[in-house]
Amino acid sequence: MNAMGFAWRSLVRQPARASLGVLGVAAVGALLFDMLLLSQGLVISMRDLFERTGFDLRVTATDSLPGQGPLIPNAVADAQAIAKLPTVRSAIALRFANASILNGGQRGFYTSFQGVAGTGEHPWTILRGRDMGTGAELVINENISTRLRLEPGARVVLRAFCTSEEQALPPVPFTVAGIAQFPFDTPNGATLATSLEMLANACGGNESDDADVIMVASQESAGPAAAVADVATLLPDLRVLSNAEAVNRFERGGFTYFRQISTVLTTVTLSFAVLLITVLLTVSINQRLGEIAALRALGFSRWRVVADVLCESVLIVGGGGLLSLPLGGLLAAGLDNILKRIPGIPAQVHFFVFEPGALRVHLLLLAATAVIAALYPIRIVARLPIAATLRDEVVG
Amino acid sequence: MILRRIVIALAAVVTAAATLHAADDLPSILISRQLSESEHIAVGDVVRLSASADGTSPRPFRVSGVYEPTPDPARLGAVIREVQLHLPDLLTLTREPGIPAGSEYVQTINVALVDPADAAAFSREVQARMPGVSAQPATGAAESTGPFLVLRRFHLAIAIVTIVASTVFLLALTIMLVDERRAAVGVLRLIGLPIRRIIVQLFIEGALIATIGSLFGLVLSLVSEGLINRFFQWRYDTALVFVHVTPEVAAICVAIAVPLGVSATVVASWALLRRNGLRLARR
Repeated sequence: MNAMGFAWRSLVRQPARASLGVLGVAAVGALLFDMLLLSQGLVISMRDLFERTGFDLRVTATDSLPGQGPLIPNAVADAQAIAKLPTVRSAIALRFANASILNGGQRGFYTSFQGVAGTGEHPWTILRGRDMGTGAELVINENISTRLRLEPGARVVLRAFCTSEEQALPPVPFTVAGIAQFPFDTPNGATLATSLEMLANACGGNESDDADVIMVASQESAGPAAAVADVATLLPDLRVLSNAEAVNRFERGGFTYFRQISTVLTTVTLSFAVLLITVLLTVSINQRLGEIAALRALGFSRWRVVADVLCESVLIVGGGGLLSLPLGGLLAAGLDNILKRIPGIPAQVHFFVFEPGALRVHLLLLAATAVIAALYPIRIVARLPIAATLRDEVVG
Repeated sequence: MILRRIVIALAAVVTAAATLHAADDLPSILISRQLSESEHIAVGDVVRLSASADGTSPRPFRVSGVYEPTPDPARLGAVIREVQLHLPDLLTLTREPGIPAGSEYVQTINVALVDPADAAAFSREVQARMPGVSAQPATGAAESTGPFLVLRRFHLAIAIVTIVASTVFLLALTIMLVDERRAAVGVLRLIGLPIRRIIVQLFIEGALIATIGSLFGLVLSLVSEGLINRFFQWRYDTALVFVHVTPEVAAICVAIAVPLGVSATVVASWALLRRNGLRLARR
């Protein structure tokens, strides 16, 4: 019988303790797996979200996030000039404001308000109805549709808030053309969008060509790096960021807390697992010292009994590790639901995201745990004095 | 309701900082520690501030102090470069040409009440009298809303998983430890000790071990509290406290750990004690 088979029988002989060991490793392993998913989850999710919008580049007036810095003057003309570059497929100018839909009761229903102009596809997906056309049309998200019971064709009157809330702009009528899904919407967020021209009208008619950001889609043959260089050359006063650079900035800035906490919890979890498996194996080995000494006396080599202990550790950690994957998946879904309630997090962003790299690291860490946890028990059996142990067993 | 004190706090961004000769008659400002360190500005220095990004129309101010910004988890990772000005100075600095003085607005008014317990009633009264103004009690807001509540739930969920894992391991360990004493328990049974008496003994043993273990855990958490706080405070350059072992948290931990330890011991022992004394004592 080989070492693995022998270790299996040793565990099966004491099913309660073996099962508890495996279950303990499964619980710890699930937490470890989740922490690995959390360590890069938010960044991967943001990258996916950026890429799903269909635009590679973001052009802003300053290094501030779109909507938080100054407007780009003459953005519509700039977007048209960018769209003509050979490395660029399309470009749109976006302006962000806020609005209150006055159909929503006395105080109105507060929403985000976007205006778009340019040649590219609009950065939203139509769910019902159609996309906005020319004139006073807009698209609204599902939350507005549900809460205000608005469907395509409905008439709304809204008041825009464009620069500061001290302004009291006149209400403007619009027709709902369709219901859309916006990529950066929060779960309870209310967003509506119209053309940049209509948003500027709602904002009092000033700054009609200005925008917060110009979104650019590069030609597939050229790639985003070439497009970044071309746009930067064309408009040297503006800041140009590729998706990768935006993700890097996001990674360095917000939400590093989750990466840090995942590192701390990974370390604590692994230490906990190593300590407990070491104790389990050591106590188990101590109870079987006579048996191991007898096996050595019967001709089992030192390396063979060492291999038996190592295989026991591998079986406990391996069994628990396998169980930890589905358990970790379920736990990650639950924890993700909790964290996604943080205000301002887009509905399509996830904190726990599976990637093959995380699984590889998980398996490597578990393998290291199995080996490290077996070191002390291995030392005990490797140095076991055969005759003295057998004599103690008989006398005891 | 008596309004005792009104504090208005506003901040401006430094766009140009040049050290000039100290002048006592200049308006005073406070700067954040991070700004002081990054720009090498000290108390007594004179700096010029401008409200526009290109630094036009700067005004000189004297730095009268350096302050540690109020820790804010929402700004974790951000290097807080802030200047605190007296409100009239800030309004003068930021007022657009042609806008008459006195027509400016502020974002927030912080109100300190004589009796903080009146906060809810006060906020209701303000909102009723001033439509369009949102008044919210500050006390407890941090713990009861937004990211804090979510993070608390997240940490609680992780704590539950950790407790489950620990319980499973604890059961495995106690089963082995009790099994190791099988012969001794068998002898006790054979010399006439009733099962209840042995269980009481094991119960007391379990309680002692669980209590000592819990106390050791508390000491460990107090030590790690300092280490974790120092690490994260260094990492994020903030005075924010990340881990705080309060008496309530310590009491909850002991209240969970001791009964768990005792239960694990009794459950593991019970399976053993159901066996015949002769079988237990047999070698």
